[in-house]
Amino acid sequence: MALIEIDDLSVTFHAKGREVRAVQNVSLSVGAQESYGLVGESGSGKSTILRAICGLAPVSGGTIRIGGQPIDSPRGAAFSRQVQMVFQDPYASLHPRHTIDRTLSEPLAIHGIADADARVKRALSDVGLPPGFRFRFPHQLSGGQRQRVAIARALMLEPSILLLDEPTSALDASVQAETLNLLNRLRAERGLTFLMVSHDLAVIDHMCDRVLVMQHGRAVEELERAALATAEMKTDYARSLFAASADRMLEG
Amino acid sequence: MSAQASNSLTRWLRDPNPASRRQARLGQAWMGWLRMRRNPLAMIGLSITVLLLLVAAFAPWLAPHDPITQSLPNRLMPPLSPGHLMGTDDFGRDILSRIIYGSRITLTIIVLFTLTAPVFGLLVGTVAGYFGGWTDEILMRITDIFLAFPKLILALALVSVLGPGFQNAVLAIAITSWSPYARVARAETLTVRNSDYIASIRLQGASSLRIILGHVIPMCLPSVIIRATLDMAGVILIAAGLGFLGLGVQPPMPEWGQMISAGRKYLFEQWWVATMPGLAIFVVSLGFNLLGDGLRDVLDPRSAGK
Repeated sequence: MALIEIDDLSVTFHAKGREVRAVQNVSLSVGAQESYGLVGESGSGKSTILRAICGLAPVSGGTIRIGGQPIDSPRGAAFSRQVQMVFQDPYASLHPRHTIDRTLSEPLAIHGIADADARVKRALSDVGLPPGFRFRFPHQLSGGQRQRVAIARALMLEPSILLLDEPTSALDASVQAETLNLLNRLRAERGLTFLMVSHDLAVIDHMCDRVLVMQHGRAVEELERAALATAEMKTDYARSLFAASADRMLEG
Repeated sequence: MSAQASNSLTRWLRDPNPASRRQARLGQAWMGWLRMRRNPLAMIGLSITVLLLLVAAFAPWLAPHDPITQSLPNRLMPPLSPGHLMGTDDFGRDILSRIIYGSRITLTIIVLFTLTAPVFGLLVGTVAGYFGGWTDEILMRITDIFLAFPKLILALALVSVLGPGFQNAVLAIAITSWSPYARVARAETLTVRNSDYIASIRLQGASSLRIILGHVIPMCLPSVIIRATLDMAGVILIAAGLGFLGLGVQPPMPEWGQMISAGRKYLFEQWWVATMPGLAIFVVSLGFNLLGDGLRDVLDPRSAGK
């Protein structure tokens, strides 16, 4: 059975009397321990789907089910322990006045999980950060290190689903590869399910089993990884997107 | 303590990779202190504040005379008269002793004020900014109403209702001056409310109370602290004004503002009666302003450098 099922989802923002339909009638399903990609240009609604799952965007139609259950609104404690998100910009997603220790132990404190000390240490070593970083502030870390902290934070509650919102687009190329490999390793070790957004097909190709191509808030085409490798797209849009990043995929 | 022991303590405090939470916190405090020590103006502010605290604590031992006993033969003696360094006022009371005792009242006013108005304003502003919508509308309209009143008039009305007295005067000042704090805090809250780090803590299941107290307020604190230290001088003066109108600190208690009011009559012939307490207010306000500015730098970990 699919772990995440999204059926006919629409998201509409209302701003100053204007309606912006960011996502229109998108359906997808992600199996347990699968890695699923959402790809498209800026403004195609891919990040909005992730935010809608987290309750950060106004859902105007359709249903979202996790593990067969429709999710509560507002999202409860159980949801937090099942689904976590890694944000795009590691410079904006860590509290600037909290130490790494505080950032990582906060979810444990909220959920009343004991043994915070040992868990924080383990979390740091799991994402490949030295223990000495524990009491530093985010401004003392590089972008890649911050994103590792953000990943560690998302995993503190041991969720089964990780939503990744362009987790590497703010990082430079070598750090990008390191971070993606870290994510792949963690997924293999912990049996995580990824729902990952990117505008970069090379990243998606490296990470995902299946991918949904989106444009203007609508789903265009769903592709298997094999189809991606052999460029068997049915629609023109998917083909042009593929052409735009093909040269870098061959390198990788 | 030997030099060696203090050396190893410093090294323990400066350890870039602290082993425990306590060490990290003490280390941060130590670095903050070092940062502050590099700022001479902040150190002047700190010295003035510490001096005020010491003077208030040891007033009975420091004051050469009783601040309340009148001595009409000695009235209006100029500064540097024998036994009266700052001269005497129109009832022959020693001005230096009155200033020394008055520091206690000033300090109490300041402490009571900082514990009420900024705290309340901070809570109202962050709650309004965080929740938005109707909560924001209602809280901010109330804030507007308080902002629109002239401070002293509203304080007067409140004191007349509550009855004259020292605590009531401070309470009235607090009630009339929390609104700018609410405005400042709301503005800061609006800039952080939609940030990713707030979204992420919400996603981790934190309650609104926890988010506001632990995540929003730390971002608003620096501007509120600056605002509070800038308000200190005004607060002392409004307290003095209320005292002058017979609604605040009651004579013969030695309150600085009231001493200025009393010296007003003699300003041209006996200038020292009003000037000496005026200087005291000036020095203390300056001290708080400098300290506040230094504190802002210390409270911001980003100014620590790598």
